[in-house]
Amino acid sequence: MKNKYWNPFVGGFFLGTALFISFIVAGQGMGASGAFSRITAELTYLYDSAFSSNAYASHYLHNGANALANWTVVEFLGLFLGGYISAAFAGRIKGGVDKAEGYPTYKRLFWAFLGGMLIAAGTRLARGCTSGQALDGASTFSTGSWIFMLAIFGTGFLIAPLFKNQWKNVN
Amino acid sequence: MLPLFTTGAITSNLNLFYGLLIGIAFGFIVERAGFARAIHIAPTFYFRNLRVPQMMISAIITSATWMIIAVYFGWVDFPHVFIPTVFVWPYLVGGLIFGVGMIMSGWCPGTAIVGAAVGRLDAVVFGLGMLAGMFVYFINFHSFIDFANGSNIGRFTLNRLIGGNIYVGYLATLAIVIGLGIFMNTMKSIRDKKGEDI
Repeated sequence: MKNKYWNPFVGGFFLGTALFISFIVAGQGMGASGAFSRITAELTYLYDSAFSSNAYASHYLHNGANALANWTVVEFLGLFLGGYISAAFAGRIKGGVDKAEGYPTYKRLFWAFLGGMLIAAGTRLARGCTSGQALDGASTFSTGSWIFMLAIFGTGFLIAPLFKNQWKNVN
Repeated sequence: MLPLFTTGAITSNLNLFYGLLIGIAFGFIVERAGFARAIHIAPTFYFRNLRVPQMMISAIITSATWMIIAVYFGWVDFPHVFIPTVFVWPYLVGGLIFGVGMIMSGWCPGTAIVGAAVGRLDAVVFGLGMLAGMFVYFINFHSFIDFANGSNIGRFTLNRLIGGNIYVGYLATLAIVIGLGIFMNTMKSIRDKKGEDI
């Protein structure tokens, strides 16, 4: 990949420092999956208010609460904005689909969608994703984050060969 | 005393405002590191380069070190820092499912939001998949609620596992991170020597 991006160790230093600031201001780390969960809950509730008694989503929606009135949802908006601002200044706003040359786009998008569905379920069981569980928990010495991360690495390693064609010669 | 919000030093609204700023910083950093693009994330799955783990490792060491310094000097009241409750089996199974999804899609939730922000269609589709996945999870949750909420061992830092105080937890974290780094480097050397994916 091109050199115009930050060195990953430098990027990690900034990311870790931002994460620490998040801990000392809000008392919690940065997250992403919680916002997807809350958006889904709120949309479903708007379609059918009986959803407020759903076994999972009820804790977002009890007593008429808005599932989106939450720190992680606001931080999620920031995440989107920050990514946009950075890319805009660097001239990197660019539509398209990332994949190996010649790999069919419809297949790539199918796997992206299915992968998203699986990840959604994984984050609900694990109470977070690679940010809200892995990065945050590891920074606060949590045992659970390593259970989660090692499980990801383990399956990742086993499954990766099956998806080789999607990423052939990508580096 | 820190954290500002959970010790009552700032209001909920101010905390939300800072949350927006923290999110902007997070998104900015992820984009600057190149992870708004799946083609910069996926090579890690095959040990072609180690940029993703390098950044993760650097971030964990940085954040954990700031935290232990702040605890040492008494700036942070550690029990007021939120750590996800540990559910052993759900975390393990969640990680397995997550790992499959990550290899399939080339994204994780945080990078996909940034990917969508810069215009990547595969990130948008991934995000829609996440919303669909959440919905399916919600409507089926009642059937596996006991599993999902079982094996709860509470707020369980590494030092509770191996004994000792929070400084032991910090050192154990460093040891795991360094061990993983060495493992990843070894895998990359094997891959480089072979000249093709393992």
